[in-house]
Amino acid sequence: MASRKKVLLKVIILGDSGVGKTSLMNQYVNKKFSNQYKATIGADFLTKEVMVDDRLVTMQIWDTAGQERFQSLGVAFYRGADCCVLVYDVNNAKSFETLDSWRDEFLIQASPRDPENFPFVVLGNKIDMEESKRMVSQKRAMTWCQSKGNIPYFETSAKEAINVEQAFQTIAKNALQQETDQDFYSDLPDPIKIDSETSRYEGCGC
Amino acid sequence: MDEQYDVIVVGTGLTECILSGLLSVDGKKVLHMDRNDYYGGESASLNLTQLYRKFRPGQEPPPELGRDRDYNIDLIPKFMMASGELVKMLTHTDVTRYLEFKQISGSYVYRDGQISKVPASEFEAVRSPLMRLFEKRRAKKFFEYMQNWREDDPSTHQGIDLNSVPMSKVYEKFGLESGTQDFIGHAMALYLNESYLSRPAREAYERIILYISSVARYGKSPYIYPLYGLGELPQGFARLSAIYGGTYMLDKPVEEIVYDSNGQVCGVRSGDQIAKTKQVIGDPSYFPGKVQKVGKVVRAICLLKHPIPNTDDVDSIQLVIPQNQVNRKHDIYIASVSSSHNVCAKDYYLAIVSTIVETDNPEAEIKPGLDLLGTIDEKFICICDIEKPIEDGCKDQVFISCSYDASSHFGTVCDDVKDIYRRVTGKDLVLKQRLRQEEEQREIGET
Repeated sequence: MASRKKVLLKVIILGDSGVGKTSLMNQYVNKKFSNQYKATIGADFLTKEVMVDDRLVTMQIWDTAGQERFQSLGVAFYRGADCCVLVYDVNNAKSFETLDSWRDEFLIQASPRDPENFPFVVLGNKIDMEESKRMVSQKRAMTWCQSKGNIPYFETSAKEAINVEQAFQTIAKNALQQETDQDFYSDLPDPIKIDSETSRYEGCGC
Repeated sequence: MDEQYDVIVVGTGLTECILSGLLSVDGKKVLHMDRNDYYGGESASLNLTQLYRKFRPGQEPPPELGRDRDYNIDLIPKFMMASGELVKMLTHTDVTRYLEFKQISGSYVYRDGQISKVPASEFEAVRSPLMRLFEKRRAKKFFEYMQNWREDDPSTHQGIDLNSVPMSKVYEKFGLESGTQDFIGHAMALYLNESYLSRPAREAYERIILYISSVARYGKSPYIYPLYGLGELPQGFARLSAIYGGTYMLDKPVEEIVYDSNGQVCGVRSGDQIAKTKQVIGDPSYFPGKVQKVGKVVRAICLLKHPIPNTDDVDSIQLVIPQNQVNRKHDIYIASVSSSHNVCAKDYYLAIVSTIVETDNPEAEIKPGLDLLGTIDEKFICICDIEKPIEDGCKDQVFISCSYDASSHFGTVCDDVKDIYRRVTGKDLVLKQRLRQEEEQREIGET
């Protein structure tokens, strides 16, 4: 390929309902936080351009759209992910314990070429709550991350914008690593663009 | 799930998912369930494990086929007309943001023992062996007439009222030979049998124009196809529904449709839970007592290690065998895609041969199609009933979709969607343009 492809990174965010997946995205991309919880309505994917090692890349961050609630995400959601972000709520032990099944689910559905080295990032969210409410210690979370091949771990607050920027910078970096590892050998023609505006009518004269 | 919904949809086939998406966008509270642990029902694309589980239970896929993840095998062979209704639904709902498409490389027709390309340009038409020189001139006149015809301009009608004159008379007027009629009627208008000849020509006109305008859109053939298989389409519309508040439950057995004392539907039971609703939409497999069989289709899903012989080694084709070429009443279709559409491992090709069943030996009926494929590595046969609802659902508020038929594209599926939408909402479907992703993001950022 003559020119370097424009890099688009697909990042998906997984985790139990209510751990703050949509809020983290929204804080990172729009610098906004809303205290009102609504089981995700209207959030699709958000895009943001970021510099990673002097390279401008577009990160496309996909929300679960609530389809995680009854484990009904479907294989299309996982397809072509360059990084998978696993989120739990540090004040909710169950949301931490299900990280295992979210990780397994991702590996089965997305079936990346090299599952051992696929980039995950774990976020322990809602650290703004009072310490007495905390159910999962940093040590416990880090031990789990280490046992799964040293997954990078961040403790975040979408509400107070703590560590969100840093976490997503790492996500972008690791996703880009994954991208450059694979998608450059393709000799297939690019897919066609479908757009209602391109509709035109011409006879073929056959 | 013990909540009140406006509509409960059972089965995640394409028809059901489009309806879920459209109704959710309209603000209805939708619950969507499927007994399978994957999306798509009959219109799913399966990986190898799922395919073997369905067709060869207890048998493992042979390792030489490669990785499970590389396969997305359609159960129903259909392509999308580039200017068709489904493309409109995809662009208006902007479900295209989740999907990528490729062209199907060519449309072919079988005649007198040979496979020929249906011309996609004037250049190809001039060189096509399908017509001799004088016939080409006549055909050119015919197509000019079709493309210039305007309902409100009698000067373009040349004395023929397409709304009343049968198609056979239109062919006659232009003096087209039966072989030319064959390829126009079967490879372009995509009629499965000859009954259209005696019907008013307007319908054939619409179909021919759809074909021509679809070819004009991308160039190689009238068809496009989603990367990773047709199963991406229902999933795209399901995501649309979810984003507008739809609730999704896969792997959820639907045990009972519950009715009130007036015989109107009031809920759907799964286990000991009942979700309440005023309306139910679903595919025929969930309503055995409420549908009738109207025919049967036989389909052979074939795995090849080479392109279909005599088709210029392209990566994907549609091939039509008109019924009278093989002494049948219905055409045989072959739809082929390959690894370049991310539906099978590298260097493999998928071909589905299908037709409407006419005899007690359906497999023998598709033999003329199978014979054109060369060596077949694996073959999976399915013979499916085509079912339709007995009632229109207005009485009990249960609206059942039609099975996927033998047609080559999604025209009839979209007709069914629009028809069910009208019965469910009492209004005609008017597609509204959804904001593009960038515009949506800007709006979220501002509120």
